[in-house]
Amino acid sequence: METVLTTHELTKNFGRLCAVNQLNLEVKRGQVFGMLGPNGSGKTTTLGMLMGVTNPTAGNFTWFGEPPTHHLRKKIGAVLEHPIFYPYLSGQKNLELMALIKEAPAANIPKVLDLVELTPRRNDKYRTYSLGMKQRLAIASALLNDPVVLILDEPTNGLDPMGIAEIREIIKRIANDGKTIILASHLLDEVQKVCTHFAILRKGNMVYTGPVDDVGKGEETVELMAFHDDLPIILEAFPGAAAVRKEGGHYVVKMKEGFHSLELNRYLFEKGIVASHLVTQKKSLEKQFLEILAEADHAALAKG
Amino acid sequence: MLHLLKVDLKKLLDYRTFWIIVGLYFFTLCMGAASGMEFLKWLARTIEGFGQSINITRIPLYHFPDIWQNLAWSGGLLKMGLAIMTVISITNEFTYRTVRQNIIDGLSREQFLISKVMTNFVLAALSMVMVLLIATVTGLIYSPQLDFPYGLTGLEFYPAYFLEVFAFLSFALMLGIFIQRSGLTIILLLNSYLIELIIKENIDQYVPNLIQFFPLESIMNLVPMPFARYAFQEIRDYVTIESVMIALAWAFLFNYFAYLKLKKSDI
Repeated sequence: METVLTTHELTKNFGRLCAVNQLNLEVKRGQVFGMLGPNGSGKTTTLGMLMGVTNPTAGNFTWFGEPPTHHLRKKIGAVLEHPIFYPYLSGQKNLELMALIKEAPAANIPKVLDLVELTPRRNDKYRTYSLGMKQRLAIASALLNDPVVLILDEPTNGLDPMGIAEIREIIKRIANDGKTIILASHLLDEVQKVCTHFAILRKGNMVYTGPVDDVGKGEETVELMAFHDDLPIILEAFPGAAAVRKEGGHYVVKMKEGFHSLELNRYLFEKGIVASHLVTQKKSLEKQFLEILAEADHAALAKG
Repeated sequence: MLHLLKVDLKKLLDYRTFWIIVGLYFFTLCMGAASGMEFLKWLARTIEGFGQSINITRIPLYHFPDIWQNLAWSGGLLKMGLAIMTVISITNEFTYRTVRQNIIDGLSREQFLISKVMTNFVLAALSMVMVLLIATVTGLIYSPQLDFPYGLTGLEFYPAYFLEVFAFLSFALMLGIFIQRSGLTIILLLNSYLIELIIKENIDQYVPNLIQFFPLESIMNLVPMPFARYAFQEIRDYVTIESVMIALAWAFLFNYFAYLKLKKSDI
């Protein structure tokens, strides 16, 4: 698979603060790559360096195996932090200006406006747009030059649930076109829903990287309810149960490795019990994220 | 280059403030020229009030060839109007953070700067053409007779006037890039003359030869003040090579400093 982006020991210091520390990343064509991390972990700084607005202190990176130039940036669509446009220009004029800068055909403007459903408001001044519309215009502008790579930084920041769903829908549509997407977010759920690969940053250091599918491997947890007086005792007698506890109105059974909800269900049925509620909980990205961060914290403490 | 000019003009041509400021500037240029004669009449009346008399038709303020330098110098007084437009244009890019977006979209930092310098170039050229036009029309109205080629002496002040405006706009652009806030930049721009004046006055007696190398002094020096000639004083009524070289060097340096600042800062 072709490599789209490689960073090599990429570092950025702001005075004494190290915002990004010797970052080595690799993103391949067709991946939807999520960058996770708490606020201030260096996501935006990293993307800023990749887009040429922040000068790296040390290290380097390549796009498509070539050192970065402003010509290459024209083929990358980017939405960093908040949407940035000329407030006194209409959406249409803003896109015309960007098409001029990106040397994109003007014929693409109606297409991208349609895609983000802004055509009816295209002649209104940008400053009259709602946040959701601004965000959608930013995505339209990022798609203007039919980019091979799309960079999104907190694309659903500050949006209402409907706006979030819309943006997610657009991202998925773009990903299905086979475009490579780099997405920075602190919303784990978002990354889990749309990404194929992810990396976790913490205080400028990359503490984890891997495919999203790997998340959730390992032991299962089953949430369960049935009407039987001796349920806790019966559950603890189940050979695959590592631990049983009551949580809210349910029992939560932590399974031993190799055991699944299927076996538990069969076991209960054999005992003459029918479950009224049975949910398999995979380990969520959130849980894994917190674990990885805790481990990293621990390691940092041990070191220093 | 032309492509970059198109980029910057695209930002300005739909910006109402741009039309208001540039419109006011050119309107003031025309009104300034038109009111000069009225000022002379007022002057004559006032002097008459003191029992003296001057014959204003004897003062060839608007006659060829005097008018060339007279208007080029007077027009230079108003360049602050255009400079304020330059400041607004560049500081907007920082306030709206659009300079960041422009670079993300694929302009290099030098291209971004060149697009602004190109606009300065066009504004200065427009201003020169405008003053030349006003001078030609007013000269045709007031000159008692047309005497060519003698009437054309002093036309060299127009390229010099162009350089004067362009160098000053470059200075404004550089200040805007360093300060990034419109209000602060405009205040400093207005005060820059006073600051330079204080420095000049304090070193004048020690190193008088250095004065002509001061940035704003060198810009003003391109077209010297002509009106003293009507009080029978000697004036310089030609453009000197040294003044052009010094002003050119400053124009280059202003833009080069702006480039260095843009190059090394995180946007």
